[in-house]
Amino acid sequence: MRRALRQIIAILALPLLPAVATGLLHPRKPSWQSDEVTLAAATAWGSDLLWVDARPDADYAKGHIPGAIQLNEDRWDDLMDGVLDHFTTSRKIVVYCSSLSCQTSHDVARRLREEAQISNVFVLRGGWEAWTAERRPIETSPTGTQ
Amino acid sequence: MNKPSQRIIAAIVGLIFLAAGVMKEMDPAGLAVDIQNYRLVPWTWGVLAALYLPWLEMVCGLALLLRRGYRGALTITAAMLAVFLGAIASTRPRGLDISCGCFGHGVHRGFWTELIGDAILLAAVLWLLRADFQRLSPVITSEVKT
Repeated sequence: MRRALRQIIAILALPLLPAVATGLLHPRKPSWQSDEVTLAAATAWGSDLLWVDARPDADYAKGHIPGAIQLNEDRWDDLMDGVLDHFTTSRKIVVYCSSLSCQTSHDVARRLREEAQISNVFVLRGGWEAWTAERRPIETSPTGTQ
Repeated sequence: MNKPSQRIIAAIVGLIFLAAGVMKEMDPAGLAVDIQNYRLVPWTWGVLAALYLPWLEMVCGLALLLRRGYRGALTITAAMLAVFLGAIASTRPRGLDISCGCFGHGVHRGFWTELIGDAILLAAVLWLLRADFQRLSPVITSEVKT
């Protein structure tokens, strides 16, 4: 039993050093700050805010946050110009997808940071569901237009 | 560990953990997002887990493959699988449809596939642990008698 305990301690201790190295050196190391913002915090930014809709084309066409620019991974190259046209360094980008559990907003936010070198990128906690739950106004428009 | 069947199962579990660890380590930032999507721990804890967990899985996988620290590795592997199983099972009642993050960021195999896969692995590891304890119990008994 004592031997098993020693083994457990050794196995738990072994990954510590490479884990620290990962946190310091890995090119895809996670940030210690969460990139999520609540709807209240995001809307408080007012005109300094640029909404980015990361949902599929059909969902965007059905309804999106007024003024939101569409950017999803399916048509990244086509839609990226639209984001850059509206972006200025003083504006914060908040990306949203459909709900609390969707991942695409995080993926799009990360690509904006890594590929477009934009640092002020956040993810809306709760996504589109959080917006509609508060019965806020929505806008409909053909896919890919703003 | 005498029986060939136990050696084979241990090697398979070891390989699975080694592969899972390597795939997770390729994208720790993505893993942190996957952990965040479970909505069970604060972001900082998720980051710590994203840095540490891949290496722990790799160490456990190697220990099972090489049969070094075998019982300790089995115990930790069983504990990890139990936690993963609980976390995955908790998503459905909370309405979360997320990637489990088991084999890297963005790999979504579906709730039941992930749940059953984890349960099978846990059953295999518990079976190996039981066999290991049974193998050593005569030795322990004789040590106590002398």
